[in-house]
Amino acid sequence: MPPITAFFRPLLVTLLSLLPSLAPAAESAPSTTPRATVSLLSASDALAPGQTVELGLHFRFQPGWHIYWMNPGDAGQAPRIEVFAPAGSTVGDLRWPAPERHVDGPITTFVHQGDVLLPFALTLPASLSATTVLSVKASWLVCKDICIPDEGVFRLELPAGAAVPGADAPLFEAARAAAPVRTDWQVSVDATGQLTLRGAGAGALRSADFFPADWGRIEHGAAQTLTVEGDVARIALVPGAEFDAARPLEGVLRATGADGVERALWLSTADQPVTRPPVVTLAAGDEPPPPGAPAQSAQSPAADETGGLWPLLFAFAGGLLLNLMPCVFPVLAIKALSFARAGGSESARVRQLSLAYCAGVVLSFVALAGLLLALRAAGSQAGWGFQFQSPVFVAAMATLLFAIGLNLSGVFDVGGRLASAGSGLAERGGLAGSFFTGVLAVVVATPCTAPFMGGAIAAALTAPAVVTVGIFVALGLGMALPYLLLAFFPALARRMPKPGAWMERFKQALAFPMYGAAAWLVWVLSQQSGADGVLHALVALLLVALAAWLAGSAQRGAPRPCLWRAAAVLTLVIAALAVGRTPAPQPVVAASADGTYSPQRLADLRASGKPVFVNMTAAWCVTCLMNEKVALSTAEVQAAFAARGIVYLKGDWTRADPDITAFLQSHGRDGVPLYVFYPAGGQPVLLPQILTPGVVLAHLEPQP
Amino acid sequence: MTTAITHRSALLALVLGLGAALAQAAPKVGEPAPAFSAVDSNGRSVKLADFAGRTVVLEWTNHGCPYVQKWYQGGMQALQKASTGKGAVWLTVLSSAPGTQGHVDGPTANSMMKEQGAAPTHYLLDPEGRVGRAYGAQVTPHMYVIAPDGRLAYAGGIDSIASADVSDIAKAEPLARLAIDAVLAGRPVAKAQTRPYGCSVKYAN
Repeated sequence: MPPITAFFRPLLVTLLSLLPSLAPAAESAPSTTPRATVSLLSASDALAPGQTVELGLHFRFQPGWHIYWMNPGDAGQAPRIEVFAPAGSTVGDLRWPAPERHVDGPITTFVHQGDVLLPFALTLPASLSATTVLSVKASWLVCKDICIPDEGVFRLELPAGAAVPGADAPLFEAARAAAPVRTDWQVSVDATGQLTLRGAGAGALRSADFFPADWGRIEHGAAQTLTVEGDVARIALVPGAEFDAARPLEGVLRATGADGVERALWLSTADQPVTRPPVVTLAAGDEPPPPGAPAQSAQSPAADETGGLWPLLFAFAGGLLLNLMPCVFPVLAIKALSFARAGGSESARVRQLSLAYCAGVVLSFVALAGLLLALRAAGSQAGWGFQFQSPVFVAAMATLLFAIGLNLSGVFDVGGRLASAGSGLAERGGLAGSFFTGVLAVVVATPCTAPFMGGAIAAALTAPAVVTVGIFVALGLGMALPYLLLAFFPALARRMPKPGAWMERFKQALAFPMYGAAAWLVWVLSQQSGADGVLHALVALLLVALAAWLAGSAQRGAPRPCLWRAAAVLTLVIAALAVGRTPAPQPVVAASADGTYSPQRLADLRASGKPVFVNMTAAWCVTCLMNEKVALSTAEVQAAFAARGIVYLKGDWTRADPDITAFLQSHGRDGVPLYVFYPAGGQPVLLPQILTPGVVLAHLEPQP
Repeated sequence: MTTAITHRSALLALVLGLGAALAQAAPKVGEPAPAFSAVDSNGRSVKLADFAGRTVVLEWTNHGCPYVQKWYQGGMQALQKASTGKGAVWLTVLSSAPGTQGHVDGPTANSMMKEQGAAPTHYLLDPEGRVGRAYGAQVTPHMYVIAPDGRLAYAGGIDSIASADVSDIAKAEPLARLAIDAVLAGRPVAKAQTRPYGCSVKYAN
């Protein structure tokens, strides 16, 4: 019987195709922070040469977080947008939505919150290549109780062609409908700051709230009194620091008319439009510079691991040790089984299987390196194990491991007919099976980090591409080494036990690590997507079990096996859909709980002279959980923390979090776990990635 | 429905009215600067009247604010030293309420200043926001210059480019520095009221 993984190739391909990285083209990859999810949208799915396309930055804020309008008011700052487009393009300025008033004690600001689209127009040159890359670099100040300057680079790749309204066109339509409307009223302002509106309907205003387009023309927070008479509305404003009745006054009026409906109007005392410095500008060049290497990496404690051949050696050792990490156990079990099967075969066969497995491991690492480099070039902050930050990926892995478990339990067979159909096919199936076992081993290994790996991977991702690939190849070779030995020392293979009836029971027993791994992944999902995510995953597991039973029935002589098989495939497709629709990560609960890492809290604690221990972890990081269990949460270590007054801060990287990514990078790392001890007033101390209580205690002592 | 609208309008008017009352309390350039007293980071009581006849600079701060951090990479310290070196009194004022961003006690403020190499004459703790509200301080860093005759000579931004990017300091018009130098030299301030920029002051509600 060929190895079971052969069967899962189509399933794996289907599941991988559902990953969000392959999302529709008219929306860029989003930038997600605990404050907001931001992406670049196009109203059209194609770019027509010489025509104008509507683009927009789409902000979805967590409750309380907001950005600022063109006039931010008493504090804050409006966003800036830089567009990288083909030579000959021109951009129009931002078409601001009407702002909201945000009153915070004596400070009044004009803000946007909730779901906000900031649209602007891009006019393209007369000729375009088949596909055009549009990049936008934006920076915005986002505030709640505190302010954070965020920025992002967004990239859209669109084909040339007749403009067709895309999936997001309705969002642009809604933004247009809600945008402030020009009135035909006569607008004037007198020296006392009284704004007068004359025209049909002006006298019917019930409420009015004026937002000046320029800073300081009126007191932003002062009361505004509306009086109406005939066709005239008068709004008494309080002149501000920059008030001058002789200069044009412009702005947005949120006004309620006789119908009780609030509308946003654009008012101007000027005959000509007033020009202001643009918010949207066209950048020099058509591509943004690649994101720079972290500035601190040169002085980081990992720097001594990044020179010369050391990263390669560390990577090789790390890969070898990865075999001892619990992540890979379920897959190693499968590998052991396949070697046991081959135990009776001639050594040439064993060598082929080993080499196929090694090729699977090494090529997967190379693919991973390529993917990481590509994601980073596109501006996203991917690190080791990053794919486990995607709930869809976690759900897909849970489903895959569960299906492998069902196969091992004997619910259904894989390629049973292939095995009897002739040696040629079976041979090939065996090699492909070994190869994909290698792929699977790498995929499930990523939640674990072995010693030596952290520095090597961080070095890889800041080095030239050739070195990067070299380091990942070294990791793969290290991980595959035990099986390479089997290939080159056939004597070892001959010591494998002979196949027999024991193998069936061994195979069935191996199902349980698979179920265990699936259960663990569902728990990880519960941390990411909450109860809804768990429901999706459990429905998918249920459907996979049903599909397995249907397929098994077909194989065990049920009448009309074609129908059973068709039902199995259909069920599997529904399961894949359930996995693909796993809810996105839930917002992080406002990081106010004590003990949650934030750059601010670390800075505050250090400024107040307290020693701090930072633990960067993730629910999918097995190494992290082991370290917490055996070292950090032991009474011994906790007592030592308490005795020394050490504040314990934990950062959770289960979902993507740029603050934590930045922290990791500033310590020369690209993945969790990371443990840093900040003695009161001393230099930070990096701890190893595998902890024991003794290791932790030793690092708390004053360093020589 | 109507009642609801009325209530909302009344509430809005109240909020806006309150805001206006506080905003209007802000002194105007050319008028006498409001008197105040506050406790500094060493626990000593400091009064504006203590510095009669001297040029006094007020700087609102909050070390967690990115705009303040932009200036504490060297720019603010240099301006403090240059100004006090020419005889000005520099008062850094912290109006963050307890529990809000930037709030620290005296010893923490002292150790932070030591670490940053900051050199104000005094670091004033204003957790109730009394000094901040008296001056209408809205942002960090909001800057004020009081002339030797006790009149407010400058109120506004630290410079002309509203950004958190330290590289913009070199490109901007150094509004606060120009004002301080003018007052120290007994000249009128060319741009005496400018746009302050930064994070909102984290007042107690």
